[in-house]
Amino acid sequence: MSIFSKVKDRLEDLRRPGYFKKYDHKFTMVIDLDRCNGCGACVSACYAENNLPVVGKEECGKSRALNWIRIERYVEGEYPDVKVKFIPVMCQHCSKAPCETACPVYATYHNQDGLNVQVYNRCVGTFTCATYCPYDARRFNWFTYKREKPLDQQYNPDVTVREMGIMEKGTFCIQRIRAAKDRAKDEKRALKDGDVTPACAQACPTGAMVFGDLNDPESRVSKLAKSPRRFRLLEELNTDPSVIYLKRVMKDGRGTSEE
Amino acid sequence: MAEGHQKSSMSYKDVNEDIYGIITRSGIGYYIICGLFGAGAAVLFILPWAYQIYVGQGVSGLNVPVFWGIYLVNFVFWVGVAHAGTLISAMLFITQTPWRRAISRGAETMTFFALMLVTLFIFIHMGRPWNFYWTFPYPTQRQLWTNFISPLTFDVFAIGTYTTSSIVFLYFGLVPDLAALSHTASGWRKKLYEFLSFGWRGTDAQWYTQNKACMFFSAFIMPLVVSVHSVVSWDFALSLVPGYSKTVFAPYFVTGALLSGFAGVLLMLSIMREAYPVMKKYVTDYHYDRIGLFVLVLSLMWSYLTLMEVVTGLYANTSQEIEHLKFKLATPPYMQLFILMIFCNTVLPLVYIVRKVRGSVFGRFVVPVLVLVGMWLERYLIIPNSLSRKFLPWMWQDYAPTWVEISISLGTLMMFISMFMMFVKVFPIIALFEVKEDIGVPMKNRKHH
Amino acid sequence: MATNSVLAVFDHVDTLLEAAHRCKASGWGFQIISPIPLGHEIEHEFGPRKNWLRWFTGFGAINGFIFGWVVAFGLSVLYILPRGGKPILAATPTLLVSYETTILFGVLWTLFGFFVLCRMPVISKKPFHPRIAVDGFGLLVEGVREDNIPLVEKILKEHGAGEIERIES
Repeated sequence: MSIFSKVKDRLEDLRRPGYFKKYDHKFTMVIDLDRCNGCGACVSACYAENNLPVVGKEECGKSRALNWIRIERYVEGEYPDVKVKFIPVMCQHCSKAPCETACPVYATYHNQDGLNVQVYNRCVGTFTCATYCPYDARRFNWFTYKREKPLDQQYNPDVTVREMGIMEKGTFCIQRIRAAKDRAKDEKRALKDGDVTPACAQACPTGAMVFGDLNDPESRVSKLAKSPRRFRLLEELNTDPSVIYLKRVMKDGRGTSEE
Repeated sequence: MAEGHQKSSMSYKDVNEDIYGIITRSGIGYYIICGLFGAGAAVLFILPWAYQIYVGQGVSGLNVPVFWGIYLVNFVFWVGVAHAGTLISAMLFITQTPWRRAISRGAETMTFFALMLVTLFIFIHMGRPWNFYWTFPYPTQRQLWTNFISPLTFDVFAIGTYTTSSIVFLYFGLVPDLAALSHTASGWRKKLYEFLSFGWRGTDAQWYTQNKACMFFSAFIMPLVVSVHSVVSWDFALSLVPGYSKTVFAPYFVTGALLSGFAGVLLMLSIMREAYPVMKKYVTDYHYDRIGLFVLVLSLMWSYLTLMEVVTGLYANTSQEIEHLKFKLATPPYMQLFILMIFCNTVLPLVYIVRKVRGSVFGRFVVPVLVLVGMWLERYLIIPNSLSRKFLPWMWQDYAPTWVEISISLGTLMMFISMFMMFVKVFPIIALFEVKEDIGVPMKNRKHH
Repeated sequence: MATNSVLAVFDHVDTLLEAAHRCKASGWGFQIISPIPLGHEIEHEFGPRKNWLRWFTGFGAINGFIFGWVVAFGLSVLYILPRGGKPILAATPTLLVSYETTILFGVLWTLFGFFVLCRMPVISKKPFHPRIAVDGFGLLVEGVREDNIPLVEKILKEHGAGEIERIES
């Protein structure tokens, strides 16, 4: 291979949108909204797993809760003919994430697993990523949040405790992904479906959340992603999110899970 | 020279004395006012900022969808105010417009201090301001550089370039004046002037180079002025947020910036004329006439672009845009603020159509103040308001500034005023040699050709 | 060879220019020192001059343009971090960065060129008269032999010079 074609190949790499020809893993979550009952177990699990501070009633009232995942509730109709719809929303790990282009210091970038990662140490807190995020998935450490004496024993040792003034967001429990990859490497095998389960999917009582690698055609998410019920949140914005929702929608636009 | 300039009765000596008088001669009251503003800045700005850095950004009124509050509003506002200064100098230098001479220095000074506030507000709005230098491309062991596709990096480059250029431009015009005044001044001022003028004498070759350099600076600064505020607008326009993501933003912001900048220059000149009656000899009704016309034209342009901004949103007719417009135009108190903005920026400057009003007290003080208020409101209605109504209705949240944000905004304004007042006491606020040029070249036998 | 200079201060520019013509005809060098730019008048009398400054400006601007591209592309390649589905070497934003650096370098090199061409900062004491700072126009006649100095002074006086100073070099 001549040096000329090597340079040409390299330039092609560097000019390819998104850089990666193919991600090592394309981690994807499929959320079956027809199964979701809005219980909020995923939210609690996320708080426990990821060392999220509990900020209290007053701060929550100012919309400053540090929930990486939230259950959005939409109420349709007037009482007594009321229908409530749930949708769990977390960081969508967009392949064309608006937040990543916005950060001036590379505190958020795309890694080879198709994840949108946040580097806490690098963040300077310009808020741009959060402003650009169409899903409002990013949360900010408004204050230094400390836990009372015995409660600090609850911290998950695998996850950083974030300091004041930085941005954070859902990670698909990247610490679990790392651990599973290490384990697979130790056992000299490829990562297989079911090795990684984020805290929210683990806690879901109805099994509405399924996590896996979309690059693996045999994985559960790959099969579920072919479902005719699939949609992605705000897909028209061309952000190419990694979270796929399943919901049966009738012709008149109503969901059918309640009927 | 220019029509409307009746300065031929003045001699060069008068100019020297007048301008040095502005620097040295003022009562104790001036220093007391300057000190009060300085103290106000310390109390209202430094202390709350220290509190905010220590406790966290949570002391501001920001919340989850509304991450950009009035700090960013002030940032954009001061970039706007910074725009007229160098534009007046550069644009009018290239076109050789004579009336720029008496006001250019004051306008450039305003640019300089406004840009200081711009930089300050970038730091104030950051979550970890002590790490601000990470946004510069400087070599480190981490080998981690800045993200060159981020609009904020464009900002760093654009505002960095603009600050550097306007300091150079300001200093550059000061060199001959400082050299001239170093022979009049005494004490620490003499030493400072001698140092800063670097031995300028005013030889033929020096003047020639100075003139050429000014030409080059002006040629550089004109496109820079346009690019800086376009880049600032792209901080918003490059996002997907309804109300931000608009292609009209670059010209809209540039026009708005010039409108507020010219209003700021007008107000500054009026206040300076009251503080130093001797300035009335240099800044005449003719200046008010011209700048008033500029404000009028820019206000009309701004009104057109505001209409287009709203109409393109309506025309897009996506549910997000409609929600955003409903929130901005039809929800109190933003509806009232919008009406106030239209009154201040579209209706009120129309009084400048009448020539007499341009030179009246109303035209000199009231209109520019209200235009500045209107332009501040414009940014307020764009920046936090659009974020209040983003895509997912579950996360809709209103925003109101807290006392920390209001206090820092007021404190920085006071800092601006006190720094400007101090600058006037150190450096000539009217360009000495340019005013002398205005008077004309003394000829014994020949007429000036 | 002891060369001396004479600095004369004039009240009017036209008389100064006439004196300067006489000096030029006699083969003496001269400099005009003035409180305001007289470029127009001088060029009218003595013809246009060479503009060296543009080379500094052009050099700075071209360098700045190259710098912008090298910095933005080079540094992106040094540490590859994909972001937002954009290529690592993104041309459009780099054009913007290089636009700004073109102006930045152009301005800084113009400033540098100004200092070089104006021979600033000045360390030694140069001939000057305080009146020039206010309303006098100085004519510095240089390269005069010592025995010719009274002649020069006579010529300058003829043209209406006010104060005349001899400057030892």
